[in-house]
Amino acid sequence: MARIIGGIGTSHVPTIGVAYDRNKRDDPDWAPLFKGYEPVARWLAKRKPDVLVFFYNDHATTFFFDHYPTFALGVSAQHPIADEGLGPRPVPALKGHPALARHMVEALITEEFDLSVFQDLPLDHGCHSPLTMFWPPAPDWPGAVVPIAINVLQHPLPTPLRCYKLGQAVRRAVESYPEDLKVVVVGTGGLSHQMNGERAGFNNTEWDMKFLDLIERDPATLTAMKHADYMRLGGTEGAEVIMWLAMRGALSNGAKKIHQNYYLPMTAAMAVALFEETGPQPEQEDPV
Amino acid sequence: MNPQLAGIESLAGTYVFDLARSAKALVLNRFLHGLIALANRTLFRDDPEAAFACAGLSEEERVLVRNLDWRGLIRYGASFFTLEKLARVRGVSNPEMVAAMRGETLEEFLKTRNVPGAR
Repeated sequence: MARIIGGIGTSHVPTIGVAYDRNKRDDPDWAPLFKGYEPVARWLAKRKPDVLVFFYNDHATTFFFDHYPTFALGVSAQHPIADEGLGPRPVPALKGHPALARHMVEALITEEFDLSVFQDLPLDHGCHSPLTMFWPPAPDWPGAVVPIAINVLQHPLPTPLRCYKLGQAVRRAVESYPEDLKVVVVGTGGLSHQMNGERAGFNNTEWDMKFLDLIERDPATLTAMKHADYMRLGGTEGAEVIMWLAMRGALSNGAKKIHQNYYLPMTAAMAVALFEETGPQPEQEDPV
Repeated sequence: MNPQLAGIESLAGTYVFDLARSAKALVLNRFLHGLIALANRTLFRDDPEAAFACAGLSEEERVLVRNLDWRGLIRYGASFFTLEKLARVRGVSNPEMVAAMRGETLEEFLKTRNVPGAR
């Protein structure tokens, strides 16, 4: 049986991928970001998940507003890297897991999560800008990705509670898959930032810290908030942290946060948090 | 009214991308989104007026794009994320876009940041 062994919440600012591609590991302006991801990379290298299920958003790259899906799951064997205006990043196409992905679509639709399904479409930085920091290709990707796109661009967005419930349904879908697979769930986005209007450049570190606390021990407080609350506290684009709620919903109540990092160099707060399932894990090893 | 957005109008300097804005600026956003294709970027670089005509942009939209008027484009209804495509093609960074939207020079904006070199 497949099982979820942990979760990762992470920002997906495009410059995270640019810093990796330009190898800015030793640049003092970027070193704190690289260091913050190292424990996550070590944990993944040790626990060796087969699949990462990625709750992410497309940035009007693969999907346009002529038909913008609220939830969409990718089921193909490969997901190309998107061209977002400068040509694709120099990393291999992402590997999918069609059998698990198809099973997840069937399970989700059976329990009335009527999401869209896509194949062969490229993925943009919303998925892979943080991915290279903790699961780098060497030279190919260590495993497969099942991408689940969430609309956080065009209001009405799915509610925070709906995102959490999607995560819970994804957990049931993964756990009903017969093959022994180790799965990690990832939620991308945030933290505080605003990219439009005279309020652009808004940040709120106090709120970001509160969010990083609540996401572990009290997600119900977060699911009770409205999009307007998220936008007031964390900026309009910061409201995309509702994708972390999908990740949290796919973890058990008792999942423990074992690492977090926060870095706010420029416009968007860059955070990463690592969660580990604490229940019976036959091959559990020492924590990082 | 979307109940999730109740009270959002009290946030000054904020343009929430909703279905009304999306509908108003659909042609403009389609043009901007199209810049992810190399052929469209090439046409836009070589002959912007032909690219505007091909996309069916109005004169008001053409002026906004010609001038890279980031604040005006957002107010008009462009999505920040389609504007990013235009910025990449024109070699403009996100901090430059944000500074323009705030009505600041890049230098003024960078003084408000923790790590001005991280861009």
